[in-house]
Amino acid sequence: MPDLIIDGRAISVPKGTMVIEAAERLGIMIPRFCWHKALGAAGACRMCAVKFVAGPVKGLEMSCMTLAADGMVVETFHPEAVAFRRSIIELLMVNHPHDCPVCDEGGHCLLQDETISGNHVQRRFPGRKRTYLDQDLGPFVQHEMNRCIHCYRCARFYQDYCGYRDFGPMQNANRVYFGRFEDGPLENPFAGNLADLCPTGTLTDKPARYTSRRWDCERAPSVCLHCSLGCNVTVLSRYRRVARIEARDNEAVNGSFICDRGRFSAGYEAIPERPRAGLADGRPVPVTEAVAAAVSRLAALAESHGPGSIAVVGGLRSSLETQAALVALAGAAGWRAPAFFGSRQEQAATKAALAALTPARARSLAELGQADAVLVLGVSPLYDAPMLALALRQASRAGAKIIVADPRPVALPLPFSHLPVAPRQLPAVLAVATGQPDQAAAEAQKRLPFSPELWPVLEDAARALAAARRPALVFAPGLAASLPDDDRLGLFPVLPAAGSAGAALLAPDDAPGLDELAAGVAAGRIRGLLVAEADLFTAAPELAALLGSLDALVVLDHLPTPTVAAAKVFLPTATIFEAGGTLAASDGRLQTAAPVQPPGDPVVRDGRGSHPPRAYDRELPGTDPAPAAFWLGEISQGLGQKAPRSPLAAVMAGLPALAGIDCSRLPDAGLRPAFAGPRPDTAPPAPLVAEAGLAVVYDEALFATDDPGRYAPLALAQTAASPVILLHADDAASLGLADAMAVAVGCGDRFVPAVVRLSRAMARGVLVVPRLPEFAGLPPILGPCGLRRR
Amino acid sequence: MADKKPSLVGEIVEGATGLIGSYAATLTHLFRKPVTEQYPEYKRPMPERTRGRIILTRSPDGKERCVACYLCSGACPVNCISMQSEEGPDGRRQAAWFRINFARCIYCGLCEEACPTLALQLTAEFAFCKDDIADFVYEKEQLLVDHGGRHPDYDFYAHAGVAAGGPKGSHIGEDDPVDVKSILP
Repeated sequence: MPDLIIDGRAISVPKGTMVIEAAERLGIMIPRFCWHKALGAAGACRMCAVKFVAGPVKGLEMSCMTLAADGMVVETFHPEAVAFRRSIIELLMVNHPHDCPVCDEGGHCLLQDETISGNHVQRRFPGRKRTYLDQDLGPFVQHEMNRCIHCYRCARFYQDYCGYRDFGPMQNANRVYFGRFEDGPLENPFAGNLADLCPTGTLTDKPARYTSRRWDCERAPSVCLHCSLGCNVTVLSRYRRVARIEARDNEAVNGSFICDRGRFSAGYEAIPERPRAGLADGRPVPVTEAVAAAVSRLAALAESHGPGSIAVVGGLRSSLETQAALVALAGAAGWRAPAFFGSRQEQAATKAALAALTPARARSLAELGQADAVLVLGVSPLYDAPMLALALRQASRAGAKIIVADPRPVALPLPFSHLPVAPRQLPAVLAVATGQPDQAAAEAQKRLPFSPELWPVLEDAARALAAARRPALVFAPGLAASLPDDDRLGLFPVLPAAGSAGAALLAPDDAPGLDELAAGVAAGRIRGLLVAEADLFTAAPELAALLGSLDALVVLDHLPTPTVAAAKVFLPTATIFEAGGTLAASDGRLQTAAPVQPPGDPVVRDGRGSHPPRAYDRELPGTDPAPAAFWLGEISQGLGQKAPRSPLAAVMAGLPALAGIDCSRLPDAGLRPAFAGPRPDTAPPAPLVAEAGLAVVYDEALFATDDPGRYAPLALAQTAASPVILLHADDAASLGLADAMAVAVGCGDRFVPAVVRLSRAMARGVLVVPRLPEFAGLPPILGPCGLRRR
Repeated sequence: MADKKPSLVGEIVEGATGLIGSYAATLTHLFRKPVTEQYPEYKRPMPERTRGRIILTRSPDGKERCVACYLCSGACPVNCISMQSEEGPDGRRQAAWFRINFARCIYCGLCEEACPTLALQLTAEFAFCKDDIADFVYEKEQLLVDHGGRHPDYDFYAHAGVAAGGPKGSHIGEDDPVDVKSILP
């Protein structure tokens, strides 16, 4: 533990810490451009020079390249260091263009800050400025190469940290250029971070181009809703629409970065189609009337057919507040417990996946990055949870062996072994890979007799996991019942949606699945439905087909889903940007999102003509939406219930894992509840019956396959025109299908057009289908007639 | 100490000189040129740096100078300037709308000082009346003039170096763009 003195203050840091980091711990920010805590030092900018006045190092040195050592005395404001930094700024500004007014970085530009703090006001160099041609880097990142100061942050992030090679440095000396070999969209699904990382305006956020200055934006800490990882983001809002989303540091979750899905999938809060008014029987009514209509209809139904005739559906993109309000409302009214999941098995599996996360076994995303062997089961990291791929990349860079067992073709920017096995074989893979390595070969032959090509990979995997000191297992919830009872093996579940963990935590054990509700509606036992922030047409198409036969359908939502269109009574809810809330990440970590903006039509749409309206004393349009939990509380009050002040606190108090946690005062890094371990009675899921046909596996895309992201205009623009389904080349040959052939997929009573692509890097007997609304309701096994040529 | 009572003659002389002096002043002014300016019939030319009504000027090529950089609204101490920036059809950054509330403006001139493109300038027009206070909210169309104001020759885009103002390397004091695929020194 080296002890050193920086600016007269003593600090003791772990061995291997750089002086710049040690200073940061004291709250002293040494100016820097190239050093970044996630990327380390490059020594490229020479900006972090400090004076070492005593100790093992003497003189002016770069604090990012100098290891903290015992006895060091550092002065960051030594006149010599200040003069040196001032001259560095002047040199960097020699070629920097005179374009701050039209630069989007202006206002949060590190170079601007340092130029001003260095008091560089006059360009003394009489020569001409170097210029570069810019490139079109796709829809997300804007390139303006003249502004570059050659700190190499972008190249180090893009190539070293992420493992993509299509963007990087070129040329030498005074002509170094950062770009692609030719114009084209960046391949890296984390490329949006370049806008955060770049200390100048060379790489900026293209969708946010020319929209706002940082000082004009309302900012709030929030949590990403576009997968289950719960990455931390900062939302910037201006004139009642989200202007930009930036990564927010959380060392336990996402580090300093987020994926492009999380960064560019906002915008659904401001689409013109967003339902913003209360509806009763298709007529717009004041929200108070809509609440009264919902109350009277549900009460009448409970009166005439009993409270059991009313069912409640909760969403997997809601905050814990909304989900808890649903549980409390249904519980107090004696209705059926809210259904969040497709089936009871799914709910039990998700609950079991979370329950397995005992303090000894749970791993955070950051800890996965430090694992030395990771087995990923039933998860395609880059698309199911993009930041997971970045964590695995960090583990892989440190030498970890990564094994991915998934039926879909898997692409990752790191060396890994892929086991393309069908979903029903995953438990066998798990058992073999986590079993005794010397019996792995025999076990593999016994349990996977028809896949001899997998045996050596499995044997390798078993050996790597057995030899690893910090092995980890990333798994889909369906495998929760097959987890080995080994405390050495860290666990990290990946769930289907941002609200899955919250729903699994809060849903009562006897909550039905959506399939049961469909059966109940078909049999006439269920006559009224209350749906909060869920789209039945994608979550439960068989239930959605029966909506017309219901006596009462009350829907609360903020997205223009077909369920909203079918609603008899509708209440507009607020998005996470307007309501905030608590969210549970896939590892159970509870985190708080703060509201950013008030509800209401964005100013851009409010105005007529070239400017916003000039009236002062009018009501803002579109301000009816309120948090779903608020509406549920109003309904609860209307029904005469004595609702608790905070339904979430009341529901959590009754759950052993969550009791005693105050969601209004969570720590900055979030709080992971201590789960007690799986209950012994968790029954393994019913094995899929082997049927003739193709097992349907849903695949996420980077954009617009998650529920709110599907309504985001920018994310939607990134999707393929025609859905692409994937088939193993051998299966295709036996079906008489060729690559790029137009096909129709049988989905219930209709056929959905698609294009078939063939692959050999996927499991046999599996059909990989994008998770799009049109494919909702495919049977688990697609029969022989389910796929035909168009 | 008791005052000495002035004599009667002394009092008469003192009063008469006072009266005559006043009449003399009035009489001499009768034959002088008047100093009163008949405002508003006559408007006095104001000093060049008078801080009056704000205008948005144009660069010598006739294009809008304002790039909607938000510096004026950031500098404004009374928050009377608001705008929204956008990308114009020629790729230049411009204001989608630009609004100054002159009912709130204190004519301090900080916006003009902040303006990096010399677009926003304060003019000598200091008195303008409206029947309705809402009419003091000026929009971009009312603010935009067709001249360069006090700085007719400055063109921000000729210096800025961004491609919207002309090809890279064509701006003032710029080298030709670096050829990244050349191996020549």
